[in-house]
Amino acid sequence: MRNLLIRYKRFLMTAVFLLAAFLTYALNLRNKENANPLERAMMTVTKPLAGSTAAVSGTAGDIWSNYIDLLEVRQENIELRKSVKLLNERMVANNEAIVANARLKALLELKGAVAIPSIAVSVIGEDSSAWFKTLVVDRGSSDGMLEGMPVVAAGGVVGRLVKVAPHSSRVLLLTDHASAIAAVVQRSRARGVVRGAGGGRCSLEFTVKDEDVKVGDTVISSGIGGVFPKGLPIGEVTMVKKGEYGVFQTIEVRPAVNIGKLEEMLVLVRQSIE
Amino acid sequence: MIAYLKITGVVLAACLLQMTLLPRYLLDPFQPNLLIVLVVYLGLKMPHRLAGVAAFGLGLLQDSFSGIYLGLHAFSYLCIYTLLSGLADRLYTDNRALFVLVVFLATVFSALLNLLMLAIFSVSKGVYASLLPALIPQALVNALVASLFSGVRLPVEEAR
Repeated sequence: MRNLLIRYKRFLMTAVFLLAAFLTYALNLRNKENANPLERAMMTVTKPLAGSTAAVSGTAGDIWSNYIDLLEVRQENIELRKSVKLLNERMVANNEAIVANARLKALLELKGAVAIPSIAVSVIGEDSSAWFKTLVVDRGSSDGMLEGMPVVAAGGVVGRLVKVAPHSSRVLLLTDHASAIAAVVQRSRARGVVRGAGGGRCSLEFTVKDEDVKVGDTVISSGIGGVFPKGLPIGEVTMVKKGEYGVFQTIEVRPAVNIGKLEEMLVLVRQSIE
Repeated sequence: MIAYLKITGVVLAACLLQMTLLPRYLLDPFQPNLLIVLVVYLGLKMPHRLAGVAAFGLGLLQDSFSGIYLGLHAFSYLCIYTLLSGLADRLYTDNRALFVLVVFLATVFSALLNLLMLAIFSVSKGVYASLLPALIPQALVNALVASLFSGVRLPVEEAR
């Protein structure tokens, strides 16, 4: 028997191992969803190793992908900067278009409100010295402009044309010292002449002391002289001073139009000086 | 010929700057008058027989872009040129500080002469109220500009 065992030892061992393997498999079939002690032990032992390996592998993967990403980020950054610049330019252009639209709409409303033919002009230059107040506009005698024609903007009177060239003209602003416009105080109908006082200011002159003029009164063109049509807003009274001596009051007027921000204006073409 | 064309270019650029760009970015009394700097330059450094005509021309050019009185600046610039060309022989005109100082004084002189002319011959009552407060800032700004350009030589001078 012993000899038989020795003789077939190899086959028997193989059969035993196979049987053990088969029995292990067969016995665990019933309990296939639960870990047996061996599995638990193996899992417990291998867990730290598997975790570390996974962490190292993840870090290495991250570093690699970050490096690859970094290579693309610079190019992407340049492209994004370009698109930000483009979008900013578009935004500024859009805002400018909105503002221009509002301005032109106001000018169009004015054109409808004034029952006199008019030509729209744009400012292309300003006075080259500090003490005179004139503007250069982009239309001239070839467009039907003549010296003396009144110039108005959405807020009211701007001035009148002087020095007309074929394709450009100069506008003498109502704030220039050489400017004088016959005017009337809208509320009390007190008459006077609005003269430029420089520095964006005007004064209402030749209004006698007896006339009723108060701060806040609106001054409009009187139509006398035939240059400016009657009823155009000129400005608002900001100061009234009745001195002890003299016949006239000292009245300061703030122009209705913001002279410093003029861009488009209307020239009233019917009112011409021969 | 090319030198004179270059000068014309300089003058036109100065005019355009004064009329368009500078008023947009600088407040009223702080806008430099580049033409008066040129007139002072002519008076001090260019004793050419046509330089007086050039100074007068620069004044007319200034009048074409400023105010409504043609000839006002032309007269004052010619006065400044005459005065400076008469004094130039007795001054060390290569001194930069002198150039800056003369630009300052010329601005003041020109403004006062303009004021006198306006007071006597025009109806611009109260123009002094705009002119006088702006006088010193304007003169200082012109002097500053002159100090920046004091080392620059016009092409004609270079050719000579």
